[in-house]
Amino acid sequence: MTITVTPEVFNYVWFDADVIRNIATGLVDALGMNDYEVIIDVDETTPLSGISCEIGETIHIRACSGAFEDTRKPRQQSETATATSIGRVLLRARDRLVGGFGEAPADNDLSLAQVAAWETYSLGRLDRLGVPTNQQRWRYNFRNRLGFTDATDGAFEKIWGSDGLTWGELCAISETAIPSAAK
Amino acid sequence: MRKFFPVEDLARDSRFSKITIADRMADQRTALNVNVNGDADGPSKRTNNMRLVPSRRDASDGARGLMHGIFVGEIQALEGAGRTCWDFETGTEAPFALKLDMARQCWDEARHVEISVKLSDWMGSEIGQYAENTVLFEAACSSDPVLRLAGVNRALEGLAIDVFTTMKEFGDLAGDQYLEFCEDWMLADEVTHVKMGSDWLRKITENDPERRKKALEFQNVVDKLFSYGGTRSDSQESPIGLARRFRELAGFTDAEVEDIAEVSMQALNERKVVVGQIREAKRLADQSAHK
Repeated sequence: MTITVTPEVFNYVWFDADVIRNIATGLVDALGMNDYEVIIDVDETTPLSGISCEIGETIHIRACSGAFEDTRKPRQQSETATATSIGRVLLRARDRLVGGFGEAPADNDLSLAQVAAWETYSLGRLDRLGVPTNQQRWRYNFRNRLGFTDATDGAFEKIWGSDGLTWGELCAISETAIPSAAK
Repeated sequence: MRKFFPVEDLARDSRFSKITIADRMADQRTALNVNVNGDADGPSKRTNNMRLVPSRRDASDGARGLMHGIFVGEIQALEGAGRTCWDFETGTEAPFALKLDMARQCWDEARHVEISVKLSDWMGSEIGQYAENTVLFEAACSSDPVLRLAGVNRALEGLAIDVFTTMKEFGDLAGDQYLEFCEDWMLADEVTHVKMGSDWLRKITENDPERRKKALEFQNVVDKLFSYGGTRSDSQESPIGLARRFRELAGFTDAEVEDIAEVSMQALNERKVVVGQIREAKRLADQSAHK
């Protein structure tokens, strides 16, 4: 397993490349993805919290600095935020690599509702792996995308507690919240 | 009881982490689209539309952060209005009716704090999860009650009108009825608070144009400080818009609203220039390091 983090030295934020590498190593190991080379590029010039992942010969993660930041102490790194952000894109990559997600659109083509459903599925699994999560944060995100209804909450609980879903199954659960959720 | 309480001594438990305006200014990062050398692909690709609406990809987290900002702002507004009741002698320094208005505002702000805590809980945030910028209370430390009213009630509560309008619209678009309803009620209170500031400013300085001028200058400084980095302006590049209609209801004249719009746009453009210069300097430094 090779994990590369750039930049090695940060100028805009007080992040530590070794900490990012160690957290990523632990996650790659826990998720059984040791056969893959992982590159993590951090854009430290923006405080936004976006993170994306490209799967090719390597797993290439691009993160804005806000994705790894401690919101209590701006510009400082949070190990929990780092693990949550890297973990959720690694899980999405693993879903695509393992199979069952062949029909899923490319990341850039996913609708906001589809992203929310997949994030919920990933965060539930990260929670069970021992990464600290605030379930209500993700429930609120899911509601924002799929509606503030009891059916949405029911779908959220089911997705959060699931393992081994396929893309079709994930969409089917989302559709119990709103019929158009999978589109 | 002590008068004129310094910002450093505000009581907060260990959950809170304070930052100053200097800390914020030292942060050279920006979400603004300042295109110096072409944008990168991926998550950091910047857009010219930063308005906080549900269709933004990071909308939920953005709304949670803003909600926490409202929460700490309400605490400081409560502390500021409370200090104004106490710091000045009744009659000689501040009229009793002004203090009565400030007492009423304390009641409103305390209720807003409770509402904000419940909304933060609903949105999945914890108390103290985001750093607290204490600049609101700093504007409430002036030794002249008229300057306090100009800085806090007109500038900062005016900003609150913009923030609550943005959040109310967010709740409406997302279908979050709790958020929309709570923001609407708090917005109504804020309009009253701004109106109190506008009315008292005019009344107290009726025969003192110099004091009025000073107060309006102070308000302008606070307005610009709170527009820092282009957080609030008419431009879609700012997360928070300028709520012109509600400002009108709160007693701002058209000319005053235009002034604030101009100050906000100026702050946005100044920030873009500064960020552009920093990026260009970094690009040149990187270039010479690779030679």
